[in-house]
Amino acid sequence: MVMTAIVVGATGLFARGQFAGTVASSEARGPVVFWVLVLAIWSALNIVFVAEDLFTLYVALELLTFAAVPLVCFDGNAETLAAALRYLLFALIGSVLYLLGTALIYGTHGTLDIGLLAPLVQADRFVWVAISLMTVGLLAKTALFPLHLWLPPAHAGAPAAASAVLSALVVKGSFFIIVRLWFDLIPHLPNPLSQQILGALGAAAIIVGSTLAIRQARLKLLIAYSTVAQIGYLFLVFPLALGATVNPWTTIAATGGVIQLISHAFAKAAMFMAAGLIAKAIGHDRIDGFAGLGRALPITVIALGIGGLSLMGLPPSGGFVAKWMMLTASVTQGQWWWAVVILFGGLLAAIYIFRVLGQAFSLSTHPLHLEKPVPLGKQLTVLGLALAAVLLGFIPMEPLPLLSIGHADIVGGVQP
Amino acid sequence: MSGTLLTLIWATPLLFLLLCIVAPVRRHVMWLLPLAPLPALFASVVAFAGDLQWSITPLGMSFVIDRPASLLLGAAALLWVMAGFYLRIFFRTETNSQRFAMWWLLTMTGSLGVFTAADLVSFYLLFSVVSLAAYGLIVHEGSAQVRQSTAIYIGFAVMSEAFLLIAFVMLAATSPSGNLLIADAVTALPSSPWFGLITGLLILGFGFKIGLVPFNGWMPLTYAAAPIPAAAVLSGAGVKAGVIGFIRFMPFDGDLAEWGWLLVIAGLFSAFYGVIIGITQSSPKTILAYSSISQMGFIATLFGAGMIAGNAGAVVLIAFYAAHHTLMKGASFLAIGAFSRSRSSVSTLLIVLMVLASLGLAGLPFTGGYLAKLAVKDVLGEGTIGTLAALSAGGTALLMVHFLRTLSTVSSDRNDSQIEAVLTGPWAAVMLACLVGPWVLYSVVTGYPLSAVLAGSDLFKAFWPIVLGGVLAIILNRYRAYVPKVREGDIVWLGRPFVTMAGQMGCALEAMDTSLRRWPVAGIVLLCLILVIGWSMQLTP
Repeated sequence: MVMTAIVVGATGLFARGQFAGTVASSEARGPVVFWVLVLAIWSALNIVFVAEDLFTLYVALELLTFAAVPLVCFDGNAETLAAALRYLLFALIGSVLYLLGTALIYGTHGTLDIGLLAPLVQADRFVWVAISLMTVGLLAKTALFPLHLWLPPAHAGAPAAASAVLSALVVKGSFFIIVRLWFDLIPHLPNPLSQQILGALGAAAIIVGSTLAIRQARLKLLIAYSTVAQIGYLFLVFPLALGATVNPWTTIAATGGVIQLISHAFAKAAMFMAAGLIAKAIGHDRIDGFAGLGRALPITVIALGIGGLSLMGLPPSGGFVAKWMMLTASVTQGQWWWAVVILFGGLLAAIYIFRVLGQAFSLSTHPLHLEKPVPLGKQLTVLGLALAAVLLGFIPMEPLPLLSIGHADIVGGVQP
Repeated sequence: MSGTLLTLIWATPLLFLLLCIVAPVRRHVMWLLPLAPLPALFASVVAFAGDLQWSITPLGMSFVIDRPASLLLGAAALLWVMAGFYLRIFFRTETNSQRFAMWWLLTMTGSLGVFTAADLVSFYLLFSVVSLAAYGLIVHEGSAQVRQSTAIYIGFAVMSEAFLLIAFVMLAATSPSGNLLIADAVTALPSSPWFGLITGLLILGFGFKIGLVPFNGWMPLTYAAAPIPAAAVLSGAGVKAGVIGFIRFMPFDGDLAEWGWLLVIAGLFSAFYGVIIGITQSSPKTILAYSSISQMGFIATLFGAGMIAGNAGAVVLIAFYAAHHTLMKGASFLAIGAFSRSRSSVSTLLIVLMVLASLGLAGLPFTGGYLAKLAVKDVLGEGTIGTLAALSAGGTALLMVHFLRTLSTVSSDRNDSQIEAVLTGPWAAVMLACLVGPWVLYSVVTGYPLSAVLAGSDLFKAFWPIVLGGVLAIILNRYRAYVPKVREGDIVWLGRPFVTMAGQMGCALEAMDTSLRRWPVAGIVLLCLILVIGWSMQLTP
């Protein structure tokens, strides 16, 4: 029952996974490996979205990690290999912690099915230990600040199509499991302080990630740090959605979070691919050397710009809708400090986006030399992805009914 | 019908922009610029006769043009048309004119559209478009100094949007009907627990846009950096996005007199401040920017006075005044271009008209500006506010004399061109519109009979600020050597330590990031997080 509900709820996410897959196809330069890995990531994500018990989620998580790591070192040079190893080690630590938590839960309650567990879990020590182990393990995989050590080198070093998939999709998989844990497994156990801690980590991620993004000299690193910041927005969902007494899935904050997740996926995939095209065309991705790019590669730069506008949260874009909903949630619940962080994050995002676009649109003294021509088809794919992020901006501004289907039963059945 | 018209206002420039993908269209885009605002001009005439409204229900977008909006829209559209003609000649030899034209169209989309937006999201969208697309117009010349000014502008613009966004979210959260119509939200506002806070945030957001002191610093820098036609449309039409914001969002039912007083005080301060800093400047563009600060301060005073008195009828009068300012400011900037490009073609008649129009801003009798001042006389009342406002008119006269004096010394860089003599055409048209237009509309808009305009007491009241300004101008001219120089942008430069501080904080964060990304540190952090989260969960009952 819950499973079907989540299938429906995740349809949008599926479409997104599929979309990114087809885009990757236009980028793949033959190797079958790449294909296998992307398909593995895709199937792992599907499992994450439909799975109903903690161990299946663990398997999916491992599949996700082991498919993602080779993508990082796809180029095979020493630098990316080091980044991939870093990623692998940290992700494995995360997995171990998650598995430990799962084992504790199994030892206490004898089942791993979320639907069955939810009524069983009580506010006892075992559950707390298990949940905190699992959550932190997943945080490490999601690269939430301050556990983001592996993300910038890994995402900046991978080939463009791979970083698009990694940044847009892979980190979201483990995030989604955290959401499942907190929304489905323990929604009835009030623990405002820990929700605030998760939110605070998210807030720190927004500010630190954005500030560092401003200070990067290379476009891909800038986008990678921007991912660190955007992941932070996702974690604001916990204090905002769980703060209300109703079913967390029906809150406007949860919808905002999901839209943030999807629109960030589109925008970030577009931006990484655009960065890849730029790097291939001019031979580097140093922002200082971008003068005249707007004239040389107009479509790519426009796609980059549209993706950036969504990150800044300007309408019409999914980023705006997500931001609006989260602000509404924080205002109506009186948790105004999150609103301040969201707005400040938007300002910082504006700075780093304008830094790139300002350079790209400025005039160069000598016309920019393109080392390689860029096929129009690839440019249009990137633009299409960026426009998808914009189209999300036309979603009506209310909690999506899609998300609450089926979930009503969980909470309704649990609360006395 | 009204739906089509309301859509065409912002869709026409947008459509032209999209057509620029096609190379032949792009090559001739300069010809499209004066055509793009025509639907808006037509719509403003239609809407002047009767309100237009329309909504796209599934998207939750709605549009409305009422009387105040039609005045602002009409003036803005006329300025955009004329500036479009002007730009084509002005940029005849410019190499990057196509790129500039595209930014021009995008800015126009927002600038004209924002007068028609009736729901929060459309308003925010179009407001952002006019603010952010102006980036491309300002940065055009691309020198380091211009880029710095543009960066400052964007900083202010984004800040203003952040304040507006949170205010809009709070508005939407309090609106009981659940829809996002501005009118409904503002009606419900007084019952909101955050009434004062929302109003304050809105004043802050729109105050940034109209350059209310102390948020004025960007204005002189921006107008000095932008090419002349861009400065004309931004100072004339662009800042009116803030004015329509005040019109749409401020509560004029007398509930928030204290915020009204705040607006009056900030507005009057800006009105004098603009004059005082303005007379220390020597570049005509910068002087006009300070005149804008002063005039926008005056308009803010009008809004404040309207809020104190609970005078909902004031908005249409203020819109009348603001529409005159749109044309006047546009004409003044276009004059600088006409003088600098082809001085020889500027006839004496044009100079006389320009002098009349400039002093009209201070309320010189029988000009359009005189009527604009008369229209808002009752909004200000007879008390202290009225007296101070009249004094500020004296200041305006002084500043305008200073502007005209500077204008006459503008050196003409290329005097030979026959074609550039055509620049005077659009300039003269805007100037005539601002001299004559108010006469046509005065009695319809204000409801006062036109014959009352000639009443002796009003004439006298209008004359003394001019005389005062003239006397002050003579004194200023005498003691010119003693006037201190103030760097354009004035208080923006006080922000420099903050920029340095922000840079240092950035460095500190970077150092922190490097250390956090070391393995031992990350491992310890990981363990600590487990403990902290576990502990925090344990705490709860």
